[in-house]
Amino acid sequence: MDEYAIGVLTSIGLLSFVAASAYLLLTAGELSFGQQGFFGVGAYSGGIATAMLGLPLPVGILMAMLFGAAAAALVGLSTLRLRGLHFAMATLAAAEMLRILFELFHWQMEVGGETVGPDGTQGFRGIRWVFERGVEPLGFLFIVYGMLAFMVLCFVFLERSKLGATLRALGEDPQLAGMLGIDVLRLKLAVVAAAGALAALGGALFAHHNTYIEPRNFDIMLGVHSLAYALIGGLGTVFGPLLGVALDLGVLEGTRFFQGYRMIVFGGLVALLLVWRPRGLLDERFVHWLRTRR
Amino acid sequence: MIDFIQNTLDGLTAGASYALLGVGFTLIFGVLRRANLSYGPAIMFGAYLATWASFSFKGLLLLAAIAVAGTVLAGVYVERLCFAPHRRGPAAAAMVASFAIWMQLEEFATLLLPRHLYAFPALYEGGPLNFGPFFVRVESLLILLAAVATCIAGWGILYATRFGIAVRAVIDDPRAAELSGINVGAVSLRVFAAASAIGGLTGFLIVASHEQVTPMLGMWSTLKGMLAMMLGGLGSLPGAIAGGLALGLIEAHSQWYLGPQFRDFIAYLLLFALLAARPRWMNTRSAY
Repeated sequence: MDEYAIGVLTSIGLLSFVAASAYLLLTAGELSFGQQGFFGVGAYSGGIATAMLGLPLPVGILMAMLFGAAAAALVGLSTLRLRGLHFAMATLAAAEMLRILFELFHWQMEVGGETVGPDGTQGFRGIRWVFERGVEPLGFLFIVYGMLAFMVLCFVFLERSKLGATLRALGEDPQLAGMLGIDVLRLKLAVVAAAGALAALGGALFAHHNTYIEPRNFDIMLGVHSLAYALIGGLGTVFGPLLGVALDLGVLEGTRFFQGYRMIVFGGLVALLLVWRPRGLLDERFVHWLRTRR
Repeated sequence: MIDFIQNTLDGLTAGASYALLGVGFTLIFGVLRRANLSYGPAIMFGAYLATWASFSFKGLLLLAAIAVAGTVLAGVYVERLCFAPHRRGPAAAAMVASFAIWMQLEEFATLLLPRHLYAFPALYEGGPLNFGPFFVRVESLLILLAAVATCIAGWGILYATRFGIAVRAVIDDPRAAELSGINVGAVSLRVFAAASAIGGLTGFLIVASHEQVTPMLGMWSTLKGMLAMMLGGLGSLPGAIAGGLALGLIEAHSQWYLGPQFRDFIAYLLLFALLAARPRWMNTRSAY
């Protein structure tokens, strides 16, 4: 494989984590404009763990997921009772606050004769754990897709379990779910935290892939894109958001056919697609048909 | 004290444009119960058309008309493609579709004018007015005046015409309105066009008073408009005006007392705190 293809595939894998986190929230009936904030928390804490504290990457990733989940739970705790646009705007406000905090975040130290660490708007350079260990781009691609496969496996198990059905019930009608004895607020908090951890996992991998992150990476564009990926791909299965990312990055970036007109073509197609299938390509009905046909 | 008053004046004048954006957002939200993410990009599209036209002639009234026409055109396109098909369906699809068109409109605009910065003819050539130790820009007064005029006109239409009654009926309860014979689709389209006209005028006033346009205009207008709408409690026009003015005041004061990086931070913090606390006037019950 040439370097370009590996790069595109890696980006698809990295964005799949944020798209999956938006998908998880959407299946529970919530729309978040703020997953980019937790992606950023993951990127910063993962980078700090390996580049500044000298911890190995797996520990850094765990730390990132922990911080991402904690940040999301904090946001979730104060916004649990909000729904729809109110929840979306609250998550957007939280993510924008996080982005501004990244801009104000200065913490640098000497590591191996070099100053590394977050430097406000100048960004955070030198997250080189992957390269210092001699991991080739192809090797990193395997790491990303290995983690993605693990995530998909978890989702597949989740969606076949009772918890998965409960989640869908919450997404369909929270009031009814509450009357059926589901602890709506607790479940929602758990979903918000899990989605935060997922986005943070993607962020930590993103930081180690890029070696350089800056607050601008985590603005609203990333959050709304991940929402769009989930909805284009479909809300019926976890492969939906993955398909959404692959469609955007793979087909259009890969072919380079529409250079300069890319968003005109893609934006129009997405709007038309949503008229035809308002819950995405792999929507619940289609997935159900796939599972039950003989 | 002088600083405080000067900041308050600056905040109120900046708030006037936020209030106008908030009014446009609220009108659309009121009839559709959907947030139109591409409201700002439609404004940007109109402003870019006007900028492009300004290379050939400088008549401000004509440029304003072009900005308004461009924004209305883009707005109607958005309504037909993203909102009319999703009037009954889930709100997420309409919002994501409007985001897709956001990307499309931005690319249209940047294909038309690819540089990062373009000059725009000035709204007013003279300097600021002085009132003792304070000064106010004439451009800001014009925006304030436009905001007041828009509100009066909007009020008149909403409360004194048949169309206004239909609009209020749809805002109140779309189903009941439909059952009593109102063509909800046509009302939505017209309200969308009217909100876009307000947006186009606001966009023109903003770029003419800054004397420049940048590709940030689209995202900026969407974010400020949504903030003004949410701070005002979502769904009421006087609320959106109050929300816009409040946003301007918060930004001006936090920039002065806490530094430029806190300018946006405090506004988001306040919005988050208000949403978390859910005061009664915020109307946080209605979903979408």
